[in-house]
Amino acid sequence: MAALQPILKIEDLWVSVEGKDILKGVNLTINPGEVHAIMGRNGSGKSTLSYTLMGHPRYHINRGSILFKGEEIGDLTPDERAKKGLALAFQYPVAIPGVSVSNFLRASVKAVRGKEIPVKEFRQELKQQMALLEVKDEFLSRYINDGFSGGEKKRLEILQMTLLKPALAVLDETDSGLDIDALKVVSTGINTLATKETAILLITHYQRILNYVKPDFVHVFQSGQIVKTGGSELSEELEERGYDWVTQELTPSGVA
Amino acid sequence: MGETVKTIAKERVDEITRQTAEPAWLKDSRLKAFESYLKIPTPCNRDENWRRTEVEALDLAALNVVVNDSKEKQAAKEPAVVTAALAHLGKKLPYIYTTPESIEVGNADSALLSKGVIFCSLKTALAQHADLLSKYLSAENLPQPDFAENDKFYLMNQSLFNCGAFLYVPKNVVLESPVLNILSSGEETSIALFPRVIIIVEHGAKAEFVNLSTASKKQAQEAGPLSLVNSSIETYVGQNAGLSYLDVSDFSGNTFAVSRVYNEVKRDGSLHSSTVALGGWQIKSDIQTNLKEPGSKSDIRGVVLGAGSERYSFNTIQDHIAPDTGSTINFRVALKDSASSAYLGTIRVSKEAQRTDSYQSNKNLLLGSNAHADSIPKLEILADDVKCSHGATVGPADKEQIFYLMSRGLSNLEAEELIVTGFFRQVVQSCPVDGAGDWINELVADKIHA
Repeated sequence: MAALQPILKIEDLWVSVEGKDILKGVNLTINPGEVHAIMGRNGSGKSTLSYTLMGHPRYHINRGSILFKGEEIGDLTPDERAKKGLALAFQYPVAIPGVSVSNFLRASVKAVRGKEIPVKEFRQELKQQMALLEVKDEFLSRYINDGFSGGEKKRLEILQMTLLKPALAVLDETDSGLDIDALKVVSTGINTLATKETAILLITHYQRILNYVKPDFVHVFQSGQIVKTGGSELSEELEERGYDWVTQELTPSGVA
Repeated sequence: MGETVKTIAKERVDEITRQTAEPAWLKDSRLKAFESYLKIPTPCNRDENWRRTEVEALDLAALNVVVNDSKEKQAAKEPAVVTAALAHLGKKLPYIYTTPESIEVGNADSALLSKGVIFCSLKTALAQHADLLSKYLSAENLPQPDFAENDKFYLMNQSLFNCGAFLYVPKNVVLESPVLNILSSGEETSIALFPRVIIIVEHGAKAEFVNLSTASKKQAQEAGPLSLVNSSIETYVGQNAGLSYLDVSDFSGNTFAVSRVYNEVKRDGSLHSSTVALGGWQIKSDIQTNLKEPGSKSDIRGVVLGAGSERYSFNTIQDHIAPDTGSTINFRVALKDSASSAYLGTIRVSKEAQRTDSYQSNKNLLLGSNAHADSIPKLEILADDVKCSHGATVGPADKEQIFYLMSRGLSNLEAEELIVTGFFRQVVQSCPVDGAGDWINELVADKIHA
């Protein structure tokens, strides 16, 4: 393991939004093929981490570094990051009226893979992934996220991940707003995605999804930092004892 | 001695009238319009209707009016621009192809002819169907749109029109596919063309009409002195009749294009009109729709894509004259570079027009940092039982949409282009002219990538 180059290595990352510090010294290393879960309360800065990783212009890195496959990506545009093999499944994907899902998927896959994919081949691949995620054909002719239900949006996000096959997929609260059936389907998609070639950073508020997707590591996020790291058993403990338990445990020694 | 410039003057009216041996009533009508033309001052951009235009840049005195005696003839070979349009709209559609030098026709449909449908150049129509046209063109029968009284360019066209097309669809005849009228303004500078298009869809009839104005060779922006293409388009939609009209303007960079569109819809008739503006030094268009009888409806859409320093100005007027009439307007403008646009949308509801249902939307996407768009709604409502609403937006492309697309590997430019294509597709995809949606999407994509 140690000989491997990590996919992602975040060191002492400080990020602000509109002058307000949100991330305050994040450290995280993800090796190829690993599944990491970051758990934390709403407002703890989890989504800021995902946006920062993808390069949203609103988020400013004030200190620290993000190494992706050993290369600093802090100054790269989102499309440059995508082409290097980073992808983000959004918590709240935006609607883009007038742009059909199929046009968009083709443009996106072409951009990321850097070459045109024969229509037939692409359709075949798409159909296969759509079946897995129980996505209907009519999905393709609809406009991106326009009038989609919460579950449909999340399926489209995971569908994109499975087509783009990134080296690291950051899944931002992919489980939120899903009923149990949709959660199972989406989890199946995530498990298919999680291979030796694709590491996963699963950001979530609830332990629920971790019943279906088994992480190698669980991190607890609080006040803009990772304050505790453990194996998958940590998520169960969190579910049982709540986030307050971590807070209390940490209080006596204090967190720098 | 150089060639004499055939300026805009009464002599031109005389020449045109002589050449085509026009009936006396038409000459009267032209002369009357010319008298009014002379009395009216040239507009300037301080006039509300001419905001954001640079009408001062057009030197009317330097223009050379195209006067020729070319007659309509069968096309020996289908012009490339026709073939390109038919690739989307359907092969073998009847067409008229007009240039400053010639008028060619092709794909005449004998089945339509036998049903009494007339589709020909305006010159031919005046020679062969003068009586029919007198109902619409003689001075006493002329429609009275807002611009009839005081619009110098409208009157200029009414006195000097010298090319164009005529479509007549008799009672209860249904055209299953569109007919195509193409004007190619050529590459000459300092010329003036005055096309006039008249479309008559009688009681219970249905028609689709595509009007494409283009240039054989696109000149770069700001090249040479300006040419003028000053068009007049009149559509008459009869009782229970339906017309789907599509107008595409894709001029060269030295064309100052003015068009005046007057639509009239009778009882339970319905008009669909889509206007697509893709290029020109300036495009200035007024579209007035008179809903004259109960149950008449209109659906007016517009797609404007500006680049460079192109200037666009669109005025729409929905005139609800009778009760129980409905209108929708959906105008979308996207501007790159330092292109500019002004949209002025008037909904007018007369005292009698109770239960009018009218909606107007104008959205402007500013892509260039120096692009500018104005949107001005104007409601003049005299009836008290009406549903009227309007909405307008002006702003850059949504940053979250761009981020989303970029996170999927698209560059900033590709993301913007996709957003613009989608922005327009919402309006054009459902255009009732067969094949028009895909055609427009392609034209838009071509210009966006340019």
